[in-house]
Amino acid sequence: MTLPTMLDHRLLVVTGKGGVGKSTTAAALALAGARTGRRTALVEVEGRQTFPSLFDTPAWDFEEREVRPGLFGVSIDAEDSLQEYLELFYGAKRLSRFVVGSTAVEFATTAAPGIKDVLLIGKVKEMERRRDADGRFTYDLIVLDAPPTGRIVGFLSAPEATVELVNMGPIRQQARSVVDMITDQARTLAVPVTVLEDLPVTETLEGAAALRELGVALGPVVVNRVLPTRLDAAAQARLQDGLTPQAIARRATDAGAPLEAQGAEALLAQAEAEAARVALQVELRERLRADLDAPLLELPEHYAESFGPAEISALAGTIEELVR
Amino acid sequence: MSAIGGDPLARWRDGDLSEVVAQASIIVCTGAGGVGKTTLAATLALGAAARGRKTVVLTIDPARRLAQSLGLTAMTEEASPVPGVEGLDAMMLDMKRTFDALVDRHAPEPERAERIKSNRFYQQLTSSLAGTQEYMAMEKLYELHERGDYDCIVIDTPPTRSALDFLDAPKRLTDFLEGRFLRLFLGTGMRASKQVGRAVGWGSGIFMRAASRITGAGVLEDLGEFFQSFEGMYEGFKARASEVYRLLASPGSAFVVVASPEPPALREARYFLHRLEQDGMPTAGLVVNRLTPPPPPSLAALTTQQAREAAASLADGDDDDRAVAALLRLHADRAELTVRERRAVAAALQGTTPRRVVEVPRLRPEVHDVEALREVGTHVHGTADADAAAEV
Repeated sequence: MTLPTMLDHRLLVVTGKGGVGKSTTAAALALAGARTGRRTALVEVEGRQTFPSLFDTPAWDFEEREVRPGLFGVSIDAEDSLQEYLELFYGAKRLSRFVVGSTAVEFATTAAPGIKDVLLIGKVKEMERRRDADGRFTYDLIVLDAPPTGRIVGFLSAPEATVELVNMGPIRQQARSVVDMITDQARTLAVPVTVLEDLPVTETLEGAAALRELGVALGPVVVNRVLPTRLDAAAQARLQDGLTPQAIARRATDAGAPLEAQGAEALLAQAEAEAARVALQVELRERLRADLDAPLLELPEHYAESFGPAEISALAGTIEELVR
Repeated sequence: MSAIGGDPLARWRDGDLSEVVAQASIIVCTGAGGVGKTTLAATLALGAAARGRKTVVLTIDPARRLAQSLGLTAMTEEASPVPGVEGLDAMMLDMKRTFDALVDRHAPEPERAERIKSNRFYQQLTSSLAGTQEYMAMEKLYELHERGDYDCIVIDTPPTRSALDFLDAPKRLTDFLEGRFLRLFLGTGMRASKQVGRAVGWGSGIFMRAASRITGAGVLEDLGEFFQSFEGMYEGFKARASEVYRLLASPGSAFVVVASPEPPALREARYFLHRLEQDGMPTAGLVVNRLTPPPPPSLAALTTQQAREAAASLADGDDDDRAVAALLRLHADRAELTVRERRAVAAALQGTTPRRVVEVPRLRPEVHDVEALREVGTHVHGTADADAAAEV
């Protein structure tokens, strides 16, 4: 598995600890896919409605809508998936209306363990296998904004558990074919997202091991919010030894940034704090490299007063560069 | 702050949570995953203990190093003292054991309890049913409260999308187990089923057959047995649930909503604040964790634009110029991040009424020992023997 081939898989399962930028990354990956000529679907399964603000669109629902050229967005839920499944396999319009409109959904989606997850992944599988009239796959690439790391193993192993629990019938067959898709290393890649902080890195390493255990191919690990290197070695050396606050204040003021020595000291203190964070990032990056047999895809920390469509587009650009 | 566009949070600031840790007998921390909820729960617990109150912190899934700092080395149901902290215990929620204990308590006879616990759906259900973890957390909380060993109980809620669903988790769980609809076709309430079946124009048999086609035979029978075995226990569950609810709504309780300054976490926080208000729960405020510290007053006169322009003109100079350019650019980046974060918080607060907003700057190093928790404490409840060593 190398960076340049990652977008050639059919399904990317993007996961990560809360707060690391999982959905943002999924959006940027999908946009990069579409902009490199792939018909791409971006799929949301938890109804969080994170994407509308990132793409500046109305709320997403079960209908696949083109949000950018070649990029289709959809938000799927278990009830719609169940209804579609029933209609598809039983032509059961009357029944499905009755089912969906009642507590029976509660039964199908919560009582039988994991069925909700099976329905969601089942819907993804339907999209992945779907073909147009000319026989070509409808989508070249599907990016799934999957549940967070803490739940991803349960989510992806639900079909297998269902196969074990449900001894016969179409649900079993459905679950079986979903398992086949998830564990097909040529089709599906798990893409964990992390930031270079202690907890997310630890969780990523544990999650990666568990995903491999499941037989899911591990793709590049996306390292988000990487702090930039701001100084070359020579300038760094001057900062550590030589430049006084007075000298800094003078040069800054001469360049049009009015600064007193006290302000210069504050700048130095900020730089020192930043250096400590960067050092921690370096250490954690090494830990990821050492303990994880997967390439890292690094995305920079984004300094801007807002985060929206322009920033997603920039991130997608960074990914395009990296996978080229 | 004026140089970076005002302070949108000023009107929300109203002291810290010192009153809460001094008085509340129950503190519930809630918020999205990854925002530092467990850390905050531990911090508040330290604050209560520092005021001489016998305190316990009940956590759901603490990070390993934090767990170690709290003395939680093994998965035990019992509270254990936090090393080096007078009057503070910590414990971890063991979902399965708590559920087992609940079944044991409410089952009319031990054989019934055993039958439930050996059902193949039971294990799955205890971990997968939405709201179960929330319910068990509340169950444990109530048990601790009833025992009366502590002046203050601090609990963090599970990091689920619907973390606040624990408010109706007891109701949902009992509704589900009671399973009116389920029992219609699972056979326990066949008489009722015929009536309802006629009323809606569907016999339960049709649904049963359809459902069997979906799940395969055998599954429904097992499920039916599972629900039957709960027969007669619902009343006990329900009574308990309403007691828990009353306890949480009482003035001795305090809800603390936790968020990081990222829009997704803030959206959750906003939902929680609305939800708590709707349910009339006593809300102590919103804690925004890991904010980028604002520039100190000595830099207030320097605008972001000035810093960027000066940095650009120095970028091609000698070593000293490039060093100064980097300092200025870092300052501009941080100042913009500060603006973005505070704007995001202010936007999330529109139309909500948190009692107060407490800001906790990003600390260095990462928080996983008692010393670091005390540092956080200086921002949250003003108690610490260590200096406020926040990152500048």
